[in-house]
This record gives sequence, structure tokens and C-alpha cells, in this order.
Amino acid sequence: MSLEKTEGLVIRQADFSESSRVVTFFTREFGKVAVIAKGAKRLKSSFEVALDLLTTCGIVFIRKSSSALDILTEAKLQQRFKPRSGDLRSLYCGYFVAELLDGLSEEYDPHPHLYDEAQATLTAFAADGPLELGLLRFELIVLREIGQLPNFHECVVCGELAVADLSFDFKVSQGGLVCRECQGEQSYASPDRIQAGSLAVLHCLESETESAWQRLVPSPIQFKEIRSAVTAAISHALGHRPRMLNFLKF
Amino acid sequence: MTQYGPAITRLIDEFEKLPGIGRKSAERLAHHTLRCSNAEAFALADAIRQVKLAVRSCSVCFNLTEKPVCDICADSRRDHRVICVVEQPRDMMAIEAAGVFPGVYHILQGRISPLEGIGPDKLTIEPLMRRIRADGVREIVMATNPTLEGDGTSLYLSNLLEGQPVKITRLARGIASGSVLEIANKEMLADAMSGRQAF
Repeated sequence: MSLEKTEGLVIRQADFSESSRVVTFFTREFGKVAVIAKGAKRLKSSFEVALDLLTTCGIVFIRKSSSALDILTEAKLQQRFKPRSGDLRSLYCGYFVAELLDGLSEEYDPHPHLYDEAQATLTAFAADGPLELGLLRFELIVLREIGQLPNFHECVVCGELAVADLSFDFKVSQGGLVCRECQGEQSYASPDRIQAGSLAVLHCLESETESAWQRLVPSPIQFKEIRSAVTAAISHALGHRPRMLNFLKF
Repeated sequence: MTQYGPAITRLIDEFEKLPGIGRKSAERLAHHTLRCSNAEAFALADAIRQVKLAVRSCSVCFNLTEKPVCDICADSRRDHRVICVVEQPRDMMAIEAAGVFPGVYHILQGRISPLEGIGPDKLTIEPLMRRIRADGVREIVMATNPTLEGDGTSLYLSNLLEGQPVKITRLARGIASGSVLEIANKEMLADAMSGRQAF
């Protein structure tokens, strides 16, 4: 057993007993950590109001060497996620970030870059950052961090580069784009078609440069194609369609 | 290794299903049940049976009641045009115990929690909307818990009520009476400052 101190984002919580809760944090140093917060539901709990969903707090916990849950001993509120006033979509986008972090990260597998990006994404959702594009970008960052980002740059079969005069199909089962030549006849009627313009938007979204993607204004068709490809990749990685998409209704 | 016969084991198993009861406590309760008189044990069994058979949700507000309409909804002295919306009956009882609310209640039977698969369709939102339209309600007091999900549920309801001739308010939040400023966290202070009132 060792005492650990870090900063974490609450991504899930469930009642454990009359007064205790099991809280899952996504932390910078340790990745996902599930702890039992004894007495968390009591009015005079030592965790105060720090354990609400999407709250960032400084925590101290006892790390168990066995498979038992770690024990939270201290939690101090640092920042609470506040969705835009009257905007349910910004709240649901925040929930989606929590769903992705919980579903696609492993316990004690740290991803400091992903932690920083999650914080930046939530800050943008609470302010006036673009919701749909911001979420797409975060999904791509998560996929890259866990090593499951599909290849959006070339045909995964023949290596043909994705350039402006070619259109491709997106095949999540094959790990990325497949050109018409490699798809053969069936490609012409494929619902997985992704146009060159949509790919250009995707490339900008997945690039590391901070500001360029915020100026993107994709057409409805481009957004639909990109959303379809990213949803397929996320669903493939999660093993099911994300719950929050039923609420966001893209 | 089974130490007890099937009847005692079954009783222990049933006690263990209760919230906050582990195996040891379940065994203690089972031994207490065995020790007490038949009349006492049967009274407990009968009370459990009665509560399951007699208690239902109020047809108006979804409070727990043994009649078709609960005492609060049936009380003509209350202001039926002001509805306080809470997540569960225990929240309503807490407000009732304070004795400060003259209106009536509506129990949502939960809160919107998309990550747990609880959407608006799983709550009593549609009956609330029907009630508001039919009863000429003038004020809705949002008293969901001050958590992200509780506030999200209130936000969903207020969006749904947009355009309706009804005033929407929510419980005040901030510093508790009797506490001191220097130990209040920044969240409490921010809430108190943004919700300040004319003196």
C-alpha cells in the first residue's frame, strides 16, 4: 500500500452504500483510477463537494497492492465543469468526454497529453469553443493516444495517398481508407464513401496545431461523412456505440 | 462449507441484499430474528408484505402514498399553482420537514443520467408537463440536487418549459447560515456572490 497524491477529473461515480461512493478519476500521473470514497454522501464529508461528475480536484488516495479498490482519503475541489448557460448540448458534450475517457482508458495507464487535452476540451465546451468540431477533435486525440487512430492518409491496402482528386471508402475493420481500385466494383454504391474535402477537414482536425481547426467550417455533407467515420472508429474501439450519441443526435 | 440449514441461509441471503448490510450483519439480523418471539418476527414479515401491497405512487405527484392521491396533493389549503420539482420522495420529505413550502410537489423518480442510460423518458417528466398545462401552474421551483446531473435535469426541464406562461425558479445556493466566510470554498462563494440579493 502506498499513499499517492495527484490531480484528477471525475469521470464516473456510483453509490456503493448508504454513505459511500465509488468514484473513477482520470488522473494526469496514473491514468484511470477507481477509488472508494467512504462517507462521501455525508453532509460533513471530508471530500466536500469535490466528487461531482467532471469536477477537477486534488486527491490523495491509498493505493492497494491487491485487486481491492483504492481508498480516497482527501479530495479538494479545483474546478467544476459548468456548461454554457441554457445549453444542454455543451453539458452532453462534457458527458461524452467522460464516457470516452472511462471507456477507452485503462487503470494505471497514464496519458498526460490526453489529460491536458481533456481539460482544454472541457474548458472550451464551457466557454464558446465549437462543440461538434471540438468533440470530433477530442475523439481523434483519444484514438491516437490509445493507438487505435485509423489511417486517414493513404489506402491501407495499396498505400495510395489520399489526395484531392481521389475518393476513398472508410473501412474501420481494415483500419482506415481503402481506395476504389482496392475496393473493386462494390465501392461505387458504398455508404462508407468519404470525399477528398472531408478528408482534408479530418487531416486538419487530427493535426496537433492548436488554432487552425477552430477556423474550419465544414459543409453538412462533410460533417456527416467525418462524424460517420469517427463514430465507426470509436464504436469499434469501445465495442459498442457511445451512449451519449443518442442524446447529442448529430 | 454450509454452516446453516437452507431456511436460515435463505434468510441471511435476503438480509444481505439490503443496502449497507454485509454478510456478518446479515447473520446478526438472522440470529436476532431467530431469538425474538414469533409475534415479533411475523409482525416484521407482515409489515414488509403490507408496505409492498399497500404503498404506491400518487397518481398526481408520484409521492409514496397508500391512497390514490397523496395527502399533500389532496390538501386544498396548499397552493396547487406552485410546484416544487424534486428527484425522489426523500428530497420532498426533507423540504416538508423544514415546513417552509406552501405549494405542492412533483417527484421525478430520478435524474437524467445519460452515462448510466437514464434518459428523460425514464422519469415522470411527461406527467409533469400534462400537470402544468392542465392545472394553470404559475411557478415551478427546481429543487433537483445541486450536482451536474441534477442541474442538467433542471436545465432540460426549463428548456422544455420555454414559451410556457410559467415562472421557473431554483433553490438558492451558496454559504450556509451560521458558517463563516473564511472556510467556505470558492464554489460556495461564487454561487453566493452571483445569487446575491437586495438587502
